[in-house]
Amino acid sequence: MLDIRDLTTSFGPVKALDGVTFTAPKGKITAVLGANGAGKTTLLRTVSGLIRPDRGSVHLDGQDLARMPAERMPGLGLAHVPEGRGVITELTVQENLRLGGLGRADRSRPADFERVYSIFPVLADRRNAIADVLSGGERQILVIGRALMAEPKVLLLDEPSLGLAPRTVAQIFELVRGLAESDGLTVVLVEQNARSALSIADIGVVLNLGRLVAHDEATALAADEKLRHAYLGF
Amino acid sequence: MQQLLTTSLTGLTLGMVYAAFALALVLIWRSTRIVNFAQAPMAMITTYVALVVVNAGMSYWIGFAAALVSGLVLGAVIERVVIRQVEGKPEINAIILTLGLFVVIHAVAAIIFGSSFRSFPAPFGLRGFEAGGVTIALTGFAVFSICSVAVVMLLLVALFQHTDIGLKMRASAFNQEVSRMLGVRVTRMLTLGWALAAVVGSLSGLLIAGGSLVYPSYMDSVVVYGFVAAVLGGLDSPGGAVVGGLLLGVSLSFVSGYVGSELVAVAALAILIVVLLVRPAGLFSHATARRV
Repeated sequence: MLDIRDLTTSFGPVKALDGVTFTAPKGKITAVLGANGAGKTTLLRTVSGLIRPDRGSVHLDGQDLARMPAERMPGLGLAHVPEGRGVITELTVQENLRLGGLGRADRSRPADFERVYSIFPVLADRRNAIADVLSGGERQILVIGRALMAEPKVLLLDEPSLGLAPRTVAQIFELVRGLAESDGLTVVLVEQNARSALSIADIGVVLNLGRLVAHDEATALAADEKLRHAYLGF
Repeated sequence: MQQLLTTSLTGLTLGMVYAAFALALVLIWRSTRIVNFAQAPMAMITTYVALVVVNAGMSYWIGFAAALVSGLVLGAVIERVVIRQVEGKPEINAIILTLGLFVVIHAVAAIIFGSSFRSFPAPFGLRGFEAGGVTIALTGFAVFSICSVAVVMLLLVALFQHTDIGLKMRASAFNQEVSRMLGVRVTRMLTLGWALAAVVGSLSGLLIAGGSLVYPSYMDSVVVYGFVAAVLGGLDSPGGAVVGGLLLGVSLSFVSGYVGSELVAVAALAILIVVLLVRPAGLFSHATARRV
């Protein structure tokens, strides 16, 4: 599980994250919700080491990741699928996956392509295609598969539904749900599409202007009309 | 017919050497988005290292190896100490820095090695072959030049396409942040990129010097031709750099042979102007927007 305590990040005088504290339990999906500018992406980027926090801690298996550089994260079991997907379009599907596998902690066994190809058959069909030709949904699947190649314990997903048709979003969310349940993966899912996110999440966390304003079971948050209207837009 | 063959072969040989220099420029451009104006003096100073080794009595090949190794080290040190300061900053900073390095390395070479003209050996001889009574204007050294550049290119292709570290280097060049997130130590890959580019540059320095004279500015004319070759092929394309170098070498050889050697520099710059007017991104570039 991922234990975030008092995480605070500033950009100059602006506090993008202000004392954020919550725990993302193992094997469950924790949705991080809120309006534009609430600090959701900053939260993920701080957890994954791209941004240094002012203070606070991020504990995974007893280790504090808060001030470690991003390059160390896959080796420690943390995978981050960024906003905008982060497909390396000049490489092939297989090369993107192979690159993901290079980051895994346990190098004693070869990288497990077959597992990723069996979970995502569309990648198997396109394995030698240059990633640039993939559709938006296929790219999202590619980057999730690439993250899985590193055999992570924690998966951070930043707005996977962006630009995708509702049916594709539903399929991808179902896949993520399945991974959380079968692999005991701790999933932190940042989404603007709060309704869809809450439909597959176990826990929901709402950010507003860098502060945590709600932390409850997903079903409770979805049922709370005042909260939904105030922060989530539905 | 004899002149045609001679001109073509000379052009091919020279073209391979320009291709090596252009390749060094392209490698650095692709990995760090910096045009390395200091590439020529870097190659020059490593050739001086070889000269010192050879003049101390050791074989040409030890000098050759010494030049390549010192290129590797020089490239890595320059990236780590100097270039690292301006990566990710406005491009003008890198331009000023590499131009500054150009001047500094020249001065250091003149101080340490003196600015007199010194001759540099060429292995495999400088005489053409005879075949059936016809002299082929391909010297042993020219064959060596062509083969060594070809071998280096094949090794680079093998490195980039078929090894893990090559994949990491390519990923670092295409998308630094995503590569970091996947566990790649991007800064190390950039240092390695500069080190490899410097080795390729050193090779071109040795090949230009072979059988000719070495002095601190001997590589500077190659700079122009190397840049033209890199732009001709497309700064983003290593294959383009090779083709650009060969095209340039052959074209300039024909200008020199059939028009007049005084016009070679003019011809090179004329080619540059035409390329920039007609296809500014180069012959082999993929000038498309990148979506992720």
